[in-house]
Amino acid sequence: MECVFGLVGEGYAIVAADTSAVHSILVHKSNEDKIMVLDSHKLIAASGEPGDRVQFTEYIQKNVALYHFRNGIPLTTAAAANFTRGELATALRKNPYFVNILLAGYDKETGPSLYYIDYIATLHKVDKGAFGYGSYFSLATMDRHYHSRMSVEEAIELVDQCITEIRSRLVVAPPNFVIKIVDKDGAREYAWRETVKEAAVASA
Amino acid sequence: MSIFEYNGSALIAMVGKNCFAIASDRRLGVQLQTIATDFQRIYKIHDRLFVGLSGLATDAQTLYQRLVFRHKLYQLREERDMKPDTFANLVSAILYEKRFGPYLTQPVIAGLGDEDKPFICTMDSIGAKELAKDFVVAGTASESLYGACESMFKPDMESEELFETVSQALLSSVDRDCLSGWGGHVYIVTPTEITERILKGRMD
Amino acid sequence: MKLNTSGLESTAPFFGLSNELLDGFSAAPFFEVPNTTNFDGFQKEAIQMVKPAKGTTTLAFIFKEGVMVAADSRASMGGYISSQSVKKIIEINPYMLGTMAGGAADCQFWHRNLGIKCRLHELANKRRISVTGASKLLANILYSYRGMGLSVGTMIAGWDETGPGLYYVDSEGGRLKGTRFSVGSGSPYAYGVLDNGYRYDMSIEEAAELARRSIYHATFRDGASGGVASVYYVGPDGWKKLSGDDVGELHYKYYPVTPSTVEQEMVEVAGA
Repeated sequence: MECVFGLVGEGYAIVAADTSAVHSILVHKSNEDKIMVLDSHKLIAASGEPGDRVQFTEYIQKNVALYHFRNGIPLTTAAAANFTRGELATALRKNPYFVNILLAGYDKETGPSLYYIDYIATLHKVDKGAFGYGSYFSLATMDRHYHSRMSVEEAIELVDQCITEIRSRLVVAPPNFVIKIVDKDGAREYAWRETVKEAAVASA
Repeated sequence: MSIFEYNGSALIAMVGKNCFAIASDRRLGVQLQTIATDFQRIYKIHDRLFVGLSGLATDAQTLYQRLVFRHKLYQLREERDMKPDTFANLVSAILYEKRFGPYLTQPVIAGLGDEDKPFICTMDSIGAKELAKDFVVAGTASESLYGACESMFKPDMESEELFETVSQALLSSVDRDCLSGWGGHVYIVTPTEITERILKGRMD
Repeated sequence: MKLNTSGLESTAPFFGLSNELLDGFSAAPFFEVPNTTNFDGFQKEAIQMVKPAKGTTTLAFIFKEGVMVAADSRASMGGYISSQSVKKIIEINPYMLGTMAGGAADCQFWHRNLGIKCRLHELANKRRISVTGASKLLANILYSYRGMGLSVGTMIAGWDETGPGLYYVDSEGGRLKGTRFSVGSGSPYAYGVLDNGYRYDMSIEEAAELARRSIYHATFRDGASGGVASVYYVGPDGWKKLSGDDVGELHYKYYPVTPSTVEQEMVEVAGA
């Protein structure tokens, strides 16, 4: 089942997510990237209903881009988080999006940050956060080893520890994970952690 | 489980001699899982008026944003701050607006009115006001808080004694509640100053 | 449906008193039997209703020197904390411990019962019962009550002729042999720390600290766990209680308070 988690370190934020697209007992795909690069310095990791997840994150991405076009300045991570919350909160009493979001970003003034936004639109700035069944296993692992001055290498090692824990303890553990990072140099994919490879297709 | 208990909260406001105290716990949880221990439930409307919002965190955030918005409009039109009782009427009206799909939160309002007279009040999620002369409580630990306040309250306490009383009542009450605690946040407001203190508490 | 219990009444008449006083008592007593098609089911529901403790974190693991057993001490009913000082590690005999998760009464009663059976085994056979045997005794009892509403999730840890032993036994009838278990609502959190820090060749001090820390992290994240983190060690000479630390103090030992600003991003942004 879905596992999304992330943490903030010294000068960067990291988010990791499973890459399984599941329906009932069937795994449709095991390399579905659930972390969207929102803009040059933002990452949005989402878990929830597949339709809502894609629709909503793209909606946020396009609106954040629109704001940038109109005003010539990008939204800060905090602003993007509050915008996301606002959209979720408005939708909540109409037709809710079932998506939980971890929003990571890097701003020149405030440095890296991570926002926890659940599907009922609770917004909170956190050092480390997690959603889904994976949260039960990754939160305590992160609590134990996290410190705010972590280097990227240490943080990746911690993420790997979390993935190992999820893989070994969660019944319905997903096989593959993607890890992305955002720092002063921008948001980018960091690595994949795969145990099941899908057959490579030339055009895919 | 009631939706009011989804995030967990404990709120208390108490009257002293020409001063008041308003305090809350610091936990943000999703049922039994603790997400963060630096959550804010008490908001400042202006220097002499505070509102605490217990219950569902997302609605507390939404409601707070609407209250700030309405208060700012009032400030622009009237060129003065709102009196606590006026503000209570505003909160009540905003809550009743959503009579058939309420904000799932129970507010606590505390402020200093004319001639520095303390004002405290609470209401249910659809705006039924409940004024009190001594103290009001809300949240998942409200039963314990009633007990603690009932036995510890004395009329006309000075600010320091009031702080001690409120803090002890809060800390002892949340120790009997699974869903609130993880530290405390206390504001003591006198006509001349606002004191904000973070309380160390049990983190389990 | 009424159950008539008049047959149980004493037939001896009352002496010397006028009927007036007794008039009210003359009718045969009865009590309402719940109107239900499944009487056993009703009993199960009733047991479910009064089941007290639910959330818990307990763990046990085998390492080089023996077995380490640890637990929190909170009992909760819904959101209410009914006790912060529950003894969740039950001393079955000087060489064996049981942990408690699920129904408090069920665990206490059946562990005491197991204690009796173990002692009887000892008297009959002139040697201590093995952990394997003891856990099987309990598992068989629980299995015979399966579906009747017992709620037990326990680990039986001890030292016998074969060395350290650890079994997980539950009221669904399961019994597992293993080297590392955690049971209760806080167990996933405890596993997170435990799996990570576990090595077979730990010293007793290291193992105790790992157990303590695992319980602590579980109490931090799990609302239904808390109180005191007690740690027991079972070695060749029987069990010994190593520590019982108040988690409230443990937190500030692990994370001393550093004065810092409380500024909240939400307030800034929303208030701006």
